[in-house]
Amino acid sequence: MNNTLDFNRLGKVIKHDGASFAQNLGLALIILWSIPLVIWLFSSLTPGNDHIDPYSRISIISTLGTILLIMAPARLYKYCNDSRQGIGYAMMPASSLEKFLSMVFYCVIVAPIIYLAGALAIDSILSVLGGPYEGFAISDYFNILSQLRDTLRYKAMMSDDGCTLLLSCISPTTIVFSKILSILTLSSIFMFGNMVFKKHKTGKMIGVLILLFIIIMIIMVNYVVNHEDQISRWFRYVDEEEAKYVIIRIIITLENVSLIFSAVVSVVMLWLTYYKIKTQKY
Amino acid sequence: MIKINNLDFAYKNTQVFRRISLEFEKGNIYGLLGENGVGKTTLLKLICGLQKPQYGEITVDGFVPSMRQPEFLQNVYFLPEEVITEDTTPEKFIQKTGVFYPRYDFDLFNKLMKELEVDLTKKFNELSHGQKKKALLACALSLQTDYLFLDEPTNGLDIPSKALFRKVISQYCSDETTVIISTHQVKDVENLIDPIVILDRDDVLLNASFAKITEKFFFEYGPERLDNAYYTEMLPGGYINVMRNVNNEESNVNIEALFNAVMKNKEQIKNLMK
Repeated sequence: MNNTLDFNRLGKVIKHDGASFAQNLGLALIILWSIPLVIWLFSSLTPGNDHIDPYSRISIISTLGTILLIMAPARLYKYCNDSRQGIGYAMMPASSLEKFLSMVFYCVIVAPIIYLAGALAIDSILSVLGGPYEGFAISDYFNILSQLRDTLRYKAMMSDDGCTLLLSCISPTTIVFSKILSILTLSSIFMFGNMVFKKHKTGKMIGVLILLFIIIMIIMVNYVVNHEDQISRWFRYVDEEEAKYVIIRIIITLENVSLIFSAVVSVVMLWLTYYKIKTQKY
Repeated sequence: MIKINNLDFAYKNTQVFRRISLEFEKGNIYGLLGENGVGKTTLLKLICGLQKPQYGEITVDGFVPSMRQPEFLQNVYFLPEEVITEDTTPEKFIQKTGVFYPRYDFDLFNKLMKELEVDLTKKFNELSHGQKKKALLACALSLQTDYLFLDEPTNGLDIPSKALFRKVISQYCSDETTVIISTHQVKDVENLIDPIVILDRDDVLLNASFAKITEKFFFEYGPERLDNAYYTEMLPGGYINVMRNVNNEESNVNIEALFNAVMKNKEQIKNLMK
């Protein structure tokens, strides 16, 4: 018998975990799906409200999706490290790898897909019904380049020329990869938090992230303050035309650094989650 | 067979076991006795792989439990003292769980549920504590694992249910099944367990079959308290004296009196049983 990975057994674990999926995450999904509906109702009933364009709705759907990613591990695998209620999970005759893969499957793949499918379907229905929802979010959601252009323009970061130039330097594959990686990173961080903390799992993990963010910001601000002269001297020698390319180069470099950082964080968090499943004491 | 060799275990600053060695042979129903807090549950958790020894080793049929390999896990089942309260029926629970166990028998589960008089259609959280325990016992037995670990299984059971518990354990555990019942309510498992293991704080005081116990001890039921007894207790109509069996006489073991005798004469009895 293969004690590490057996696909037949993995299927059983997935089926086992899936049996309580709706019970554990159903209510959260319904609440998240109902928020765009509430916005639609509110906008419909309030006179003088402008139409809500697909880009704004995608932003809402994405934000709610982020909330789902954050809460899914603790909702789906709440008791897996509980010294009393987690015994059944630990004693389930499957390997730690199979339990881990099933956890990843539900938190990283199934939960976001179900949420997204539902959210886009609701948005489409509401758009068909008319009212404040203009256009279909679903048609824009998968047009990643246009979305990125909208993001840049929306945040008044760049002119149209700048956007075109920047987008010509970034491949769509990188953007798709970056999106998928961001889902994996967020999920993996909260899956690890779910295995480490026994109570208030999501809240504690958010607290840890805020603390880390503050520490990193302090270090960065400190660095900029200490190297202020060097940075301003460097910008003084760059002419306007060159500056455009320099900024784009900086953005691309930062994007690549962030991709590598996300990948490293994901791998580390996933490995630590697996390690915790394997060594958790009850 | 379960082999425990030189086991050391502590929770932070509390030492639970210090270099204990113990064996559990296949096909027996062991009674794991001890005062509250001596580590009965911890020992079961160590054997199941829910805890890891700090020193020494435990093997169950050659498997190291703390590795929690599927091949090991599919042959053991641990029923904890505190029962789970899943929002599902026992039937759905066993269907979800049973697929992992090669000898799981759904018909046996139904039969056991009927015998234990538990409503199949009610959810766990609609059942009383005792009913939950009986439902989980039916689940555990229907998995037909080689090893079954029951932690305080009779806690919360009413008197008829305790009798039913003894009945189903003796009736539905095969000769190949090793059952370890941890309890401090020895009367509930009388006539069911053999051998008996008595744990003390970081030590094993006794691990013996009834045959060996009756060979070494004589349980005398009489009108008076005997001075040379290891332990004496007043019973309705007289006394029970736990004595050394010097004349190879046969007697009926009184587990409670034996337990008290062992607790009162730890070193003496350890030496006697060597």
